[in-house]
Amino acid sequence: MAQYFGLDKIAQFFKTVKQYGGLKASLYKLYRMDSLRPGTLVGTDKYGNKYYENPSMFYGRNRWIEYAPQYGLEYDGSQVPAEWFGWLHYKTDLTPDKDPSRPKYKWMADHTENLSGTSGQFMPYSTTRPKIEPWIPPKRC
Amino acid sequence: MASQTVKRAIKEVKPILSLDREEARLRVLNLYKAWFRQIPYIVKQYDIPRNEEQCRRKLREEFTKYDNIPDIRVIDMLVIKGQMELKEIVNVWKQKGHVMTYFKDTIEPKPQDFLSKFLNGKE
Amino acid sequence: MLRITLGKIIKGAKVSPKYVYITTRALSGPAKPPENVEVFIDDKPVHVPPGTTVLQAAALVGVEIPRFCYHERLAVAGNCRMCLVEVEKSPKPVAACAMPVMKGWRIKTDSELTRKAREGVMEFLLVNHPLDCPICDQGGECDLQDQSMAFGSDRSRFTDIDFSGKRAVEDKDIGPLVKTIMTRCIHCTRCIRFASEVAGVDDLGTTGRGNDMQWGALTSKPYSFTARPWEIRKIDSIDVLDAVGSNIIVSTRTGEVMRIVPRVNEEINEEWLADKSRFAYDGLKRQRLVTPMIRDNNGELKPVDWEAAILTVAKVIKCAGPSIGVIAGGMADAEVLVAAKDLLNRLGSEALCTEHTFPLDGSGTDLRSSYLLNNKIVNAEEADLVLLIGTNPRLEAPLLNTRLRKGWVHNDLDPPKLAFREQWEALAGKEYKPRPVVASIGPEVDLRYPYENLGSNPDLIKQIITGSHTFSRKFKAAKRPLIIIGSEIFERPDGAAIFAAVQTLATKSSCTDENWKVLNVLHKVASQVSLYYRLIMGGLDTPGVDKIREGNLKVLLLIGADECSINKSDLPKDCFIIYQGKLFIFNAEFGKVPFSIFHKTIKHSFLGHHGDYGASIADAILPGAAYTEKQATYVNTEGRAQETLVAVSPPGRAREDWKIIRAISEVVGAKLPYDNLNEIRDRLDQVAPHLTKYGYAEDANYFKQAEQLAQSIQGNIDNCTPLDVKIKVLEDYFMTDAISRASPTMAKCVQAVLKQKQSKY
Repeated sequence: MAQYFGLDKIAQFFKTVKQYGGLKASLYKLYRMDSLRPGTLVGTDKYGNKYYENPSMFYGRNRWIEYAPQYGLEYDGSQVPAEWFGWLHYKTDLTPDKDPSRPKYKWMADHTENLSGTSGQFMPYSTTRPKIEPWIPPKRC
Repeated sequence: MASQTVKRAIKEVKPILSLDREEARLRVLNLYKAWFRQIPYIVKQYDIPRNEEQCRRKLREEFTKYDNIPDIRVIDMLVIKGQMELKEIVNVWKQKGHVMTYFKDTIEPKPQDFLSKFLNGKE
Repeated sequence: MLRITLGKIIKGAKVSPKYVYITTRALSGPAKPPENVEVFIDDKPVHVPPGTTVLQAAALVGVEIPRFCYHERLAVAGNCRMCLVEVEKSPKPVAACAMPVMKGWRIKTDSELTRKAREGVMEFLLVNHPLDCPICDQGGECDLQDQSMAFGSDRSRFTDIDFSGKRAVEDKDIGPLVKTIMTRCIHCTRCIRFASEVAGVDDLGTTGRGNDMQWGALTSKPYSFTARPWEIRKIDSIDVLDAVGSNIIVSTRTGEVMRIVPRVNEEINEEWLADKSRFAYDGLKRQRLVTPMIRDNNGELKPVDWEAAILTVAKVIKCAGPSIGVIAGGMADAEVLVAAKDLLNRLGSEALCTEHTFPLDGSGTDLRSSYLLNNKIVNAEEADLVLLIGTNPRLEAPLLNTRLRKGWVHNDLDPPKLAFREQWEALAGKEYKPRPVVASIGPEVDLRYPYENLGSNPDLIKQIITGSHTFSRKFKAAKRPLIIIGSEIFERPDGAAIFAAVQTLATKSSCTDENWKVLNVLHKVASQVSLYYRLIMGGLDTPGVDKIREGNLKVLLLIGADECSINKSDLPKDCFIIYQGKLFIFNAEFGKVPFSIFHKTIKHSFLGHHGDYGASIADAILPGAAYTEKQATYVNTEGRAQETLVAVSPPGRAREDWKIIRAISEVVGAKLPYDNLNEIRDRLDQVAPHLTKYGYAEDANYFKQAEQLAQSIQGNIDNCTPLDVKIKVLEDYFMTDAISRASPTMAKCVQAVLKQKQSKY
């Protein structure tokens, strides 16, 4: 009956708000992530991003990430490390800690987010010798 | 005697359209009106980032640019050119960019004197 | 062998027993000039003087005979055989370059036999020549390539590639300038003849015959594999690395100077070019000032934009008022000098100086005759006696030395007894010219031709004047004597007295020709002569930095003055005392700095830094354009105004020099009345009309008056100090100015010279 009138949605809402830690925290989440979804935490990566799952939602919305608080509003998809990428994009259902077959080598580089638009971005540079070598004033010592 | 020669000289000039100054004035006014009435359609049709008021101001500016021309043949010539421009606009032979060139806001004036040319690397 | 032929072939060809016929004919009428002979080139009649070669006769009717070894300015070798032509009734084709025409000869330059002969020669040349023109540096401007297209066979008979292969010879290392490609040599021996006749360096030679005979095709080493002749732009210009003002072609590609080659100018450099002028162009790309710089509070030079630089400099100049001085360096052009002078005068200063002193006593710079190479470069080869005083022309002005050497080489008959002289003249068909007597007062240097070193005591000049020296007899006897005095003399304290003595000596000659100017001054830097015009204009001025040293200057502007004439020794000590407030110095010590300003606030500890780094005392640097980057006027040592043209644009933010001065003048409030090149050229014209008569050298006069004025000079010649020159040996030659000091090629040259000195061969 309650389901028929959609009252369970209200219950759901309160449950979600409670899960997020109160009304104020929920409003901040809504402001930051544009949606409020109840879900179970399946894992956290080493950058502090949290990964949630809610199988009751439809495919495509049932797995999501809550970016680590230090990113604020400056989060983007490239902050998802490679090991979680597969789970988040339904390449695999196994989270990294549950998948024993994942390769692990010393030489594997740490994940870096896309640095475009920041000071760390890649700038193309010429590898040819300059046509004019300028005079560089000697340093005062 | 002298005035006769002057008269003859005036007579001998071949008119383009107008025979006297009044007629030329009327032609200018006609053209101005035609443009003025076209402005709402121009703004709509060409979807330019200017409103009617701005266009009217620009129209007035374009006309007052030549308001001290004494020679009626030159006035006639300008009227003809103005009509050609108008026709190009009405028939959509022009495109948005062409219309916007009336508003040359982004063009920086070229440096004229030596020092500004020097500092701009033009010299 | 070739050294002998050079004299013999030029004139000897006419007296060799083979052509006794001409000799006897000529002898029959001694005084009469020999009659012209008529020959037919491709049935076109032409009258030429006897002794003319077939090749020259053909050139007169516009027929160009292909040749490899023949060169107008070198002795005839006749060894390439490419110029073979058919002569009617001659059993064999004859070599046109070496064969004098005979009366009535019918020469066929395009007959079947001629063409076949050329084809054969070409085939022989190409048998041992690689055919990979695309990888060769000469490709596209190669005589062999062009002539094999025009005259070679249209198919190859070369079939034995598997059998013996082509001649292959190891390349030789002959220094950093010239690259040898031994396998591409066609044995024209032009390089050998050039080296021994023009340069006077008998370093090249050939041995053996045929396949054993080896030299190498020579190409430019720094230019190797950098550009192709069809992709470069060529701009006519003027060389400014010495005071000769050689005409050059600047080849550029993609906004970069790729090479510099000589341009023919019979009055200056013929078609030769000095090593430094040709190869120092890579110095134009290194150590350049590309942006204005101002010294910040920490004492570091920091790049700024033009607006900041001009405003800062103008502010300092404004504060200084008339206490401003300018020192102009060796590569400053006439435009910047006139602009700087005008600016100074507007500010109420007169202190425009050169790096090199010139005595103002006597006529000073008022009479052009006292600072020009009055007799012109081209006439140097006509002299019958040359007296060099305090100069080393081989390294200071190599092309003038070439002229002197040419006079020595081409008039290479010993003075004949007078009885035979007329006969000789009849034989040669021209006036007898004796080989010049060359003597020098100054240090013993290598001029590449024999000369008599009289010693280096300045007193010798007086001795020659009075006749107490043995040389004065020779001097008095000479009809066309030439005295060349080096500009370094003027830098001596007694320079004026020495010059006065030389002026007197010049008037003592027995030269009767009015157009022959005995007294000649040889400068070392390109800007010097045009600077003297500035000085005339200004009325009173001090060439040389003395005035700067004495004056209570607050601002000093150095226009590419990099010869350390002031900054190294004088400023460190004096500056602290004399220069109160601010000091501007242009310094080009470190870089290729045609134009830079240094400015110094006294707040910084001044003494500690100067000695180490000339540039570290700079307070403002304004980058200017080098000679390949501006259209500018230069006046060479003979007073010939010439113009450089823009080959590439100035690097970075560098600007044309006079425009910088013009911009400063406007901000200072002493606006100069010219905005563009035409207007400043008008000003130049006002100052000295011959400055804008490009290519023309105005004659100088008033030698007598100059000499009389010189008599008033006080002071004696310092006989204890011998005359000296700075550039004595070859290794001193290569790096003498900002451009050549920045050039890696020139540095390699110095290394090569030093290495060769240590070599035991």
